[in-house]
Amino acid sequence: MLFFESIRDRAVNTWNQVVEKSSDGKLTKDQKFCLKFRLPEGEVVSKEIAAEIDITSKLVPGVPKRSSNIPQGKLYLTGHFLVFKDAFDSRTCSFNIHLLTVRKVERSNSDIYGLALEITTFSSTVITIFLLGMRSECERFALELRLQLKKNLKDVKKLGPFIHTCYSEYLLSKNKVIKEKFDSVPSGGLGLVFKFPGDARELKDKSKMKLWFDYFQSDGRNLSIIKTPMFYKLVRVGLPNRLRGELWEVCSGSIYLRYDNVGVYHKLLDDNKGRTSVAIEEIEKDLNRSLPEYAAYQSPEGINRLRNVLSAYSWRNPELGYCQAMNIVVAALLIYMSEEQAFWTLNSLCETIVPGYYSKTMYGTLLDQKVFESLVQQTIPILWDHIVKHDIQLSVVSLPWFLSLYISSMPLVFAFRILDIFFLQGPKTLFQVALAILKLNGEKLLKCEDDGTFIMVIKNYFQTLHLSAHGESPHPKFRQITNFQELLVTAFKEFSIITDDMIDKHRSKHRGGIFQNISTFVKRTEIRNLPKTPNLNSGTLDIIYDRFYSVVESLSLTTGGGSLMDFEAFKTFMSEICVWAQFDNPTNNNDAFLKRLFIKWDIDARHELSLSDLVRGLNTLVEPDLMTAISNFFELYDPKKRGKLDREGILEISEDLLYLTTPWKDGYVLDHLTNVAIENTIADEIIKHKTINGINDVEDEDIKLPETFNIDRQKLEQAQIERYLAGASNFIQRAFEYAQPAEDDEHPEELLIKELAIDSAFSHNKALNPNSPVTVNLPTFRMVILADETYELFFSKTFRESVQVSKPLDSKFNPIRNLRDMFDGLIADGREVANKVRRRMDSAASNALLQINNNGGYESKPPKSKLGEGEDDDEDDEDEEERDDDFGVISIDDKDRALLLGAEAQDLLIKVSESKSGSSTTANSTSTSASTDAPPTSSTSTDAQTKRMLFIATKSDTNLIDFEV
Amino acid sequence: MSFPNPVTSVKLVLLGEAAVGKSSLVLRFVSNEFQENKEPTIGAAFLTQKLTIGDRAIKYEIWDTAGQERFASLAPMYYRNAQAALVVYDVTKPASFVKARQWVKELREQASKDITIALVGNKYDLVEDDNEEDLVRKVNVEEGQNLADEEGLLFFETSAKTGYNVKDVFVAIGNKIPEATASGSDTATNQTSGEGRIDLSGGGNFNNATSGCC
Repeated sequence: MLFFESIRDRAVNTWNQVVEKSSDGKLTKDQKFCLKFRLPEGEVVSKEIAAEIDITSKLVPGVPKRSSNIPQGKLYLTGHFLVFKDAFDSRTCSFNIHLLTVRKVERSNSDIYGLALEITTFSSTVITIFLLGMRSECERFALELRLQLKKNLKDVKKLGPFIHTCYSEYLLSKNKVIKEKFDSVPSGGLGLVFKFPGDARELKDKSKMKLWFDYFQSDGRNLSIIKTPMFYKLVRVGLPNRLRGELWEVCSGSIYLRYDNVGVYHKLLDDNKGRTSVAIEEIEKDLNRSLPEYAAYQSPEGINRLRNVLSAYSWRNPELGYCQAMNIVVAALLIYMSEEQAFWTLNSLCETIVPGYYSKTMYGTLLDQKVFESLVQQTIPILWDHIVKHDIQLSVVSLPWFLSLYISSMPLVFAFRILDIFFLQGPKTLFQVALAILKLNGEKLLKCEDDGTFIMVIKNYFQTLHLSAHGESPHPKFRQITNFQELLVTAFKEFSIITDDMIDKHRSKHRGGIFQNISTFVKRTEIRNLPKTPNLNSGTLDIIYDRFYSVVESLSLTTGGGSLMDFEAFKTFMSEICVWAQFDNPTNNNDAFLKRLFIKWDIDARHELSLSDLVRGLNTLVEPDLMTAISNFFELYDPKKRGKLDREGILEISEDLLYLTTPWKDGYVLDHLTNVAIENTIADEIIKHKTINGINDVEDEDIKLPETFNIDRQKLEQAQIERYLAGASNFIQRAFEYAQPAEDDEHPEELLIKELAIDSAFSHNKALNPNSPVTVNLPTFRMVILADETYELFFSKTFRESVQVSKPLDSKFNPIRNLRDMFDGLIADGREVANKVRRRMDSAASNALLQINNNGGYESKPPKSKLGEGEDDDEDDEDEEERDDDFGVISIDDKDRALLLGAEAQDLLIKVSESKSGSSTTANSTSTSASTDAPPTSSTSTDAQTKRMLFIATKSDTNLIDFEV
Repeated sequence: MSFPNPVTSVKLVLLGEAAVGKSSLVLRFVSNEFQENKEPTIGAAFLTQKLTIGDRAIKYEIWDTAGQERFASLAPMYYRNAQAALVVYDVTKPASFVKARQWVKELREQASKDITIALVGNKYDLVEDDNEEDLVRKVNVEEGQNLADEEGLLFFETSAKTGYNVKDVFVAIGNKIPEATASGSDTATNQTSGEGRIDLSGGGNFNNATSGCC
């Protein structure tokens, strides 16, 4: 489903952005330089020097204009540009002259300065640069300039075709100022065909054209334009229709992108013709609803251009794709720009001017809303207090202002005026205008006590921008001032205090919070859309999510990482939450079990797990239902779902069980039975202690351990170890004992029954014969597991609890504590023990209290704690064997075993018995406390086991019902 | 226009995939209009409408949200404290139904516990003339009804274009909202009755085509 893909993408993107975030403040000097001067990314300053500038033009004869006020500042040389900015006020003079446009460089004679250069551009502008500083320094700069100019020479032929796409050149050519001939009008916006919005006469379009016509002659144009105070004035009064597109390009810097990437746009369209994507589908939905009131967007011509630009951008930047509001912005651009111009301007917008506004997480939009709120609070505190008091959602009005650059908020003619200034001055414009809107409507807004009226005030205001701001004023001059003019004055005079620096500071202050919110949101959404997992609650999923991404991230080779987990990451993940995954597998095949899990959980067989796969898998791993847990485990070894395991499978499963039980088998971790035994011992001691002291009431506070109390740790530890070893050995013996000959595939159960009935010894021999293949089916497997108390407990509790899915991410995994620590922990945790003891005493006290003097109270123990006896069983191995005998199973000595089980089984059994004998020795040497209360005879315990066996047989496998017969 | 009874305010939010007709439903309800190519909602829009059901006056405060996936992170801002939600899908777009399911899930998890949710299959006009060979409809009534039953939602199929069932959705929601949230005075609502607001005090008669402008 596409949606899930997109959610996953989003999660990845957020991670990427969080990673980006950390490096955000560390833009290189050159990157900052490019951003500041709106140069294409990648320009590197190779030389810089202090300089004074004078500008004349061969097209406008006369004396140098600025003899009195000569701009002084820094001159920079990059690979493709000569850049200057006045040191005191960049508006006095600034330029990015593309080196290709330099026609001539001459040394000029100067008495005052060390070196002066006269640069003539193709616009016939002459820039006289007086280099300041040491003579040698100036010479080096001049040399470097010559070097860079030479490097650019090879591209000079690109300039000719390019200037034919510039309306400024066409304008000069048409008016015979330059000789260049134009066969046709350069391609431009839809307005050329469908009329430009607004009344041209009212907008004084013609006189604006004339002013720009003059400007282009005196101060250059497009790639070699010089920005002087006049430039700013002319932008302020609004750009003329036919030049607007090109001047937006010049102001935004996107003209350099278009120049550097001639042909790229059309190639993108050609290469992706007929392709589709989520973005393309989204774009199609919105084509008919982008500035629908403008005539061009009711015609295929306009719709096509819009489709082309949006689609091309989605192919160029698939990570971003398409965001609603881009349709409105591009529709607006296309009124004044050609497709290619609009495309590169969209590039500048998305990547440098307002980055993150349209990205998948829209972090830029969210961030700037936060910044805007801070600025309202700071500059119009009364209104801010009012907004907070009445819980008004400011973003409902302000978010579209920023995201669609005011285009859908106010009438187009006004929105375009704002856009003119926005391209020139950057994002601070959006804030200045927004603040001015609130300020100018302040009084009315203070009367609004709900969102509805608040929105209505603003809406009405936008509809009256053309009206007089002072309609009542007696002065005709005042009456002429429209609401819009007042808005501009307020925005750019009063709120000129809002600077780029200020916005940057606010942005860095809020960035962390915004990223946090986005991550939380993405996480919540992804968790909500995970498959159903009844065994994992939402808190647990939360933790799994964090752990998943933290592991995937930390092990990912690519920056930013992916959203899938490979086997290495899976191993790390599991070893962080499962105690057994930290042990070495005695069979030297450490990963066998994890590999099995991984393959089973990798539903799509892509050799990587998604979060969904992982969660689904973990859900089965912590299955609380015993029968289901056992069959889940069985299925791991039966990938083809044959319903049975062959000899190989049986051996693998027993090997893995041996591995999985390591922490308990080696006495590192206590299982439930051992805990019960400990509690019993403690409770008995307390009761004994109380009885000695004559206290019969059972009060919480009285439950204290006698100070002299000691637990025989080694005894309990040994008991557990023995149980697990016995479990392992029982498993493999029984598994083969009850295995069915493989050739009797069709009616295995019947045969089994028959064989059991005839001669169990004989049939078992046959089953264990390595030459005759055998299988174990699920009911048999279940029976074998349930026949052993420790293994049954392992599947019903021990294993499930060993998978600590809800362990918080930041908690360090407990290094495996030894038994000693566990005891200490249990005893130290007074309340817990007290509770357990009290519960135990409540039941024990009633019937056993009187006998307590004679006996440790074992008789009165609940059935579960029978393992207390088991502890003592282990004193000799004979017991085990005998028990098996009693159980009606043939006794197999080591020799027979080797013969019967075949080589692999033998290995395994040797391993079991080796570790068994090893630990038995310890047991014998350490078990000093001679047990006074003799264990109940093994026959009792085996009786119980036989009953269990029968019960299971009846319950889980009806075919075995005749077993007893 | 005067209301004899205190006005009950209902905060209502519209959610659903892009271009399923959320804004059109609101426009139909608030202004009884339809625009063929309605601009996509950027962020959210806010509108109000008053309606009299029986002897109750209800003021709907409608938060209309942007449908595109990436705007979803803004939604909590708008469904916060909402008493009612319209989860809208397009009966000709199966993906929009999947999305609707997810919105219901999100609301159940994140919104107020007692929120009234209406599941709305819009663009009914497109499937009215469906014949058996070539079905335009891609989401069956049963599918919608099942989801509604499962989750305890109101369920309607509507057409913002023809007006079919539109008012009924809002009336059904109004009927489910308890009287407790009545606002004492009518002053606030008087202020909001600006341009384009329609009063639909139609008593028990909810004929879709009739609504008068004040």
